[in-house]
Amino acid sequence: MTISAWETYYPTLLRWLATGGGLILLMVALYRILRWFKVKPEAANGYALVLPWILGLLIWNLYPFGRSLYLSFTEYNIFQPPKWVGLSNYVRMFTRDPYFWPSFRLTLSYAALNVPLGLLGSIGVALLLNRPIKGIGIWRTIYYLPAVLPAAAVALLWRWMLSPTSGLINFLLQPVYRLLNVEPLAWYTDSRLVLPAFVIMGMWGVFGANTVILLAGLKNIPKELYEVAEIDGASNWHKFTRVTLPMLSSTMFYNVITGIIGSLQIFTQAFFIPIPRASGTFLNVKIYQEAFSYGRFGYASALAWFLLLVILLLTLLVFRSSSLWVYYEAEKR
Amino acid sequence: MKSRNVWNLFAALAVLSLILAACAPTTAPATTQPPAQTTEAPAATTPPPAATTQPPAQKVTIRLTTWAGTGESAELQQILDKINAENTAFQIVHEPAPDDYYTKMQTALAGGTSADLIWLSQEWVANLASKGALLDISDYLKGDSSPAAQLDDYFPDVLKTAAYNGRYYGLPWIAQPVVLYYNKALFDAAGLSYPDETWTWDTFKEAAAKLTKDLNGDGKNDQWGFTLNGWPPPQMFVWQAGGDVIAADLKSCPVDSPAAIQALEFYTELIYSDKYAPPQATIQEQGFGEMFKAGKIAMFMGGAADDLDRVEGLSVGVAPVPRGPANRATFAWTASTVIAAQTKYPDLAYQALVQLTEGIHHWKIAPPRKSLATAEAIAKIEPRKANSAAAIAAAVPEMRAFNVIPQHQEWDSVFWGEFMDPLFQKKAQPADLAPEMRAKLEAFLP
Repeated sequence: MTISAWETYYPTLLRWLATGGGLILLMVALYRILRWFKVKPEAANGYALVLPWILGLLIWNLYPFGRSLYLSFTEYNIFQPPKWVGLSNYVRMFTRDPYFWPSFRLTLSYAALNVPLGLLGSIGVALLLNRPIKGIGIWRTIYYLPAVLPAAAVALLWRWMLSPTSGLINFLLQPVYRLLNVEPLAWYTDSRLVLPAFVIMGMWGVFGANTVILLAGLKNIPKELYEVAEIDGASNWHKFTRVTLPMLSSTMFYNVITGIIGSLQIFTQAFFIPIPRASGTFLNVKIYQEAFSYGRFGYASALAWFLLLVILLLTLLVFRSSSLWVYYEAEKR
Repeated sequence: MKSRNVWNLFAALAVLSLILAACAPTTAPATTQPPAQTTEAPAATTPPPAATTQPPAQKVTIRLTTWAGTGESAELQQILDKINAENTAFQIVHEPAPDDYYTKMQTALAGGTSADLIWLSQEWVANLASKGALLDISDYLKGDSSPAAQLDDYFPDVLKTAAYNGRYYGLPWIAQPVVLYYNKALFDAAGLSYPDETWTWDTFKEAAAKLTKDLNGDGKNDQWGFTLNGWPPPQMFVWQAGGDVIAADLKSCPVDSPAAIQALEFYTELIYSDKYAPPQATIQEQGFGEMFKAGKIAMFMGGAADDLDRVEGLSVGVAPVPRGPANRATFAWTASTVIAAQTKYPDLAYQALVQLTEGIHHWKIAPPRKSLATAEAIAKIEPRKANSAAAIAAAVPEMRAFNVIPQHQEWDSVFWGEFMDPLFQKKAQPADLAPEMRAKLEAFLP
């Protein structure tokens, strides 16, 4: 009755090994072919060695990319072949889907709050972590910890902490509620509080990669600049606004770009914490639901391409604006 | 020069091996395969040779996927063992997937690796049938004289959940009616008579109010007459008032009909109400069914197969649910076994389906068949339910199942997320929301 390993495990293992071995042979083959065309050994070597990654990019990134663009013009439920419907998915998105605009609004508002607040927060933390105090290494490690925790675990932790009835946050706020004689806040179950709840969760991400990158940026500011400023009689505030901020602006620029992309693509928290429908659905979660819960892969692809275009547009805008506020040392101002 | 030739050979081999790897069939190359044990089989359409000459090694494997947990799987395996011992043409192998069942099942269907037989709860058959993922078994059923294939023996309202557009895609294996469990001690203490078939919504509410008490005098209730937490489904009460949330012809969602409004008002009055039922926080803290088992709830509407009537130290009676203004419809929790359209052995899968269905009908209560859902039969299938069998058998003829549409999952998320949720949170009245909700829900109709 039991299915032997020969039927299940070994064929998979063999195919896996064959793919790996085949890849190595293919690299060797490419090298030989390039050499045959009189390509220099170093160059042939290089091409052969990056071949697996180029293949990976083509097969696992570029192909799905093109495929999803194609699917966005079709009706596709994975059981039946895609049916070409032209722009109808996009028309549906903008005109007929009553849940699209609330979802887009929620996602945009989240990004609009999360990016600036996150930047301010991480600059503040980076400045603190840049101070020469004892045991700073320990503090830096502690503040970096959130970045190495699994996102799903963090989302579940937040779900519990913000839980209206049994959560830690409402427990701690109990005296305040009693003092003001108000009902405890129903965080993510009250549609008006969904956005604040998620922004609070988003702040958690402040302590992590962003702070470390800004800290690196702070460390890169030459000491001489501060010495010169001091000799000229600059106050701490002046040193911050005239030296630190301009010198840090290129790092901030990077953080703003990744922040916009990350905020618009929020998924993990949104997926693990159920929110009332009235408040909308974060776009990435909506994409997931449309595809995997309701079997509308074509429409989900259209939504995904819309999100991509929005992100692209915002990124381009920020890039365009960067000449106004980002300062590179090598440039003249 | 010699080494160059070796490299060229390698290059040729590389290309060849990649082509081989890409074209590799789903089974391993023949050299790695041990003597075929179960998978290699004669084509499904040719009848297997006589049983005496056929070694069991030639049986076709029919895969069955279910959401059964450990205990349920062990019980199911006994049925499968019996079927497998009796059959020479096929054997059923059970692949339970208790976690995230519907995601896994759909992924396997989409990936072409689905099991042949699949359990689906009533909301799913229309969805997958409309996508062409399920095998239409209507023609098989017509020419089959086995008892489990006699459609007129099934309760029509339960059977309809295995059909889509007039064609059948599976056979229901359970029809579990909702019944009223009541704690006799709490009724005795309140001096009330036990629920019976004469009860109506009003009798029920009156008793629930009398059974909701503050026992220790701290100003807070600690015993409640009833409890509601999204279960039983509000549809049941709408049916009892003579309405529906999806009409039988699947053409409208009359949630704004007077009957539906009346039922939803009755439902809303009970939810988390100080007068009848515990608040949401208490239910979350102490558990929904657990509160009944702990003796804090006097009446609980549960599935007929629930273990609420065999809690140690608790004397529990079972009655049919109270009657609504129009009838005493009760919700049937039902599920079917269906066949994946992609099965390699449709004939054998169908045979397996009928035999498996027959087996489950003698295992689960209540069987969805009129001939099997009698009090005696129920008591025989589940001796622990001997005392409740009469009440269950009385509830069975009045069972109703959902009217299901292909986009039922989406319909459900709107129904619960935008209609029931505000009612549960006491943010809206049914009459205010219903007209707007009707339009929203009807957008999903086929």
